Amino acid sequence: MDSPEQKITKTVSRVDASKESMANSRQVIGINFCGPTPLMWRADDLKSVRELGIIGTLVGSLARQPRQNTRLGRPLELLPEEGRLLADMGRAAVIPDSTNEDPEVNPEQVEQYHAGLENSFQEQGALALEDRKATLMRVMTKKHNENSGSQEDSDGAVRDRLEALAHGFSFPRTAMAVQLCTARAGLSHCPEVRRFLAADWPIPRDERSETRFRVFRDLRRQGFYLTSAGKFGGDYLVYPGDPLRFHAYFIVVCISMDESMPLCDVLAIARLGSNVKKTVLLCSSGGSQEDDGEEVVYTSLQWSGMV
Amino acid sequence: CERRVASADTNWRRQSYPSELFEARTRSHKIPVRGQKDFIPTGWDQQRDRLQQSLDEHWNLVSEERVERLGNLVKAVWISSDMIVELQSPAGKFWQTMGFSAHGKQCLHPEEALYLMEFGNLQVFYQDLPLSIQEGYERFLYSKTMSIQHYQVFGHLKRLGYVVNRFDPSSVPSQYERQLNLPQSRDRSGRLLKRKRSHSSTSMEKDSSHVDPTTSTEGGQGRSWWSKEGSPDPDSELPGQPQSSPRWDFSSIPFPDLGSRCWLPSSLTSPDPCLLPRAVGSVGACDVAPWLQRLNLREVRMSRREWERERDRDRYRRDINQDREVRRCRNWAEYQELQERRIQRSRRDRPAHLWEGPVTPLHDPAQVTSTGELLDKISVIKSTRLLEGSEEWRICFNIYQSDTVAEFKKSAPGKPYSRMCVFDGPVPDLWTLKLLAFQSGDVPVTYAVVDHGDISFYSFKDFQIPTDVSF
Repeated sequence: MDSPEQKITKTVSRVDASKESMANSRQVIGINFCGPTPLMWRADDLKSVRELGIIGTLVGSLARQPRQNTRLGRPLELLPEEGRLLADMGRAAVIPDSTNEDPEVNPEQVEQYHAGLENSFQEQGALALEDRKATLMRVMTKKHNENSGSQEDSDGAVRDRLEALAHGFSFPRTAMAVQLCTARAGLSHCPEVRRFLAADWPIPRDERSETRFRVFRDLRRQGFYLTSAGKFGGDYLVYPGDPLRFHAYFIVVCISMDESMPLCDVLAIARLGSNVKKTVLLCSSGGSQEDDGEEVVYTSLQWSGMV
Repeated sequence: CERRVASADTNWRRQSYPSELFEARTRSHKIPVRGQKDFIPTGWDQQRDRLQQSLDEHWNLVSEERVERLGNLVKAVWISSDMIVELQSPAGKFWQTMGFSAHGKQCLHPEEALYLMEFGNLQVFYQDLPLSIQEGYERFLYSKTMSIQHYQVFGHLKRLGYVVNRFDPSSVPSQYERQLNLPQSRDRSGRLLKRKRSHSSTSMEKDSSHVDPTTSTEGGQGRSWWSKEGSPDPDSELPGQPQSSPRWDFSSIPFPDLGSRCWLPSSLTSPDPCLLPRAVGSVGACDVAPWLQRLNLREVRMSRREWERERDRDRYRRDINQDREVRRCRNWAEYQELQERRIQRSRRDRPAHLWEGPVTPLHDPAQVTSTGELLDKISVIKSTRLLEGSEEWRICFNIYQSDTVAEFKKSAPGKPYSRMCVFDGPVPDLWTLKLLAFQSGDVPVTYAVVDHGDISFYSFKDFQIPTDVSF
């Protein structure tokens, strides 16, 4: 461990992220909307986006263990600010909803699907037979070792048994393993095609969402990871590194610059913060309308006493 | 690094090879446990490695696809015009708590179908091709009644083991039905066979709860007392009794008191033939003597103590039959009029400046009333029922507890454990809370807040300020 030399103040993952992003810079990630909610379905998209510091929340059942709520699976639900940031960075585009167009049954695709299924069935049948033969061989070799009969007799017996197995073996269709796809098949990975299909960002913008977005963008620029903070009474939870490994530092509450906050609200949120051992940040963005150049003002609340 | 790319490629490619599908039979079903989190990023290698390990585990889990034996999958078809999924092969164990029958086929609601797809029990086809989970989300969760937030709450509760189904406002039994403890009947499509109620019944429900069944058995009104308020129920299952005035004029029919010690008639005159059943006709005079012999007219022998007690009581009790004015009354109606007159007389000493002006006292002290009624009269704040509501807030689901799943029957689900209302915006106001609580009857309402995928549950308990008075 080279601890004394390395005095790291910024998170290490940011360095990694920039390297990875250079490699993936060509790829545009697709965001699908389900109503007003932005979702992402492809596992590789989830990975690329996490390297950019976008965490999101998994909201579907986990494929391996669907009967629990502690770890969920795809789709990944994005905060509207996360989606907007990705779109502004040019890294993601909205895929328009194609469910309304109801094409007729596509016979080509159906044929392809059934052919694929048949092919899979044949291969799996062959694999099952091989598997059974291997098991049989194992069992018979063990028996032969125990009985220690003559070599030729045993070889013949084995051959006979294998032949009998091959004749009598049947792999029923119901035993075939089938994949239930999570993400929709279809769109190619070619980024140019994605850019053409990009639709406008469908979430309406108002003052509150503007403030939230600016605070999000500023904190992200400084290298923090942000997730939603519904259970903590705030807008975001701020982590110094990946949320998988670190506890949150701050609870962010976004308020506009000229909004006055009643004292009891300030007290309530400060109490909450001290109870969960996190610092509360009140954030406001400067009133200017331009995207760049405005600053975000942070005020932290900490409960202290008079000694 | 190349090896890593190759394995990454396997994970990211969506359609697995048949060999992989075959191998998936022996896939582990365990989820790796997440270790303790750190507080400060130190940048040390150890921390970075642990992070990378966590991330690798995470991607492994997240990218895994569902693989099922074809024999375990139930086939179904999505019917977009009805927003319903129709099963094409027989349903499995889930049929005990989910689904309904329609046109002779087994069907599922879109959220139930999507949940079963995510569970790996169901394969839904649309235009002869199987739908992916993504397409399921995009097609099934299209309407406002079942948005993605509703589905998230639905899935969350089902994964915990609860039985969740859609709420139907007409299925809530009224206060009166609950009093009668009527069994709830449902037809197979999950809709309750409700009594058709007339449109004015929503305001009448409030009134019917105050009708006390035991007080209104007067005269010939009989069993029609519950339809006496408002318009009569057109589809009432009760035999309708005509609301007629009593056939007998009790003021003219004499009922002699044969047990009276003072007046003993020797015989009773024959009653009016119209009062008797037609077959009997006219009867002659009735000789009273044999009947009187059957009456016990012996004097009661009291012990000395009892005699003394009676004497003391009689000192203050006035036999009402001794009252001359009462004796002048020939029937019950006249006696009541006498009572009224006497009350009026006692009222005449009410001071004029109090009772004759435009503003009179709230309560007359001569009137008999209970403490509770008196408090009610002088109360300034009255508890109210806020009934008119908005369309955006509705109860979505009925929740039944998981330990009753074994005996759960779709046709007779019983009373739900709770009802769920899903929202993601600002907190509902008091009006909405009261309205939904009323709509739900005696089942508590739980509120689920969905904040970008994070679900929290809240409930608001109704509280009546206790009054220290018995009514």
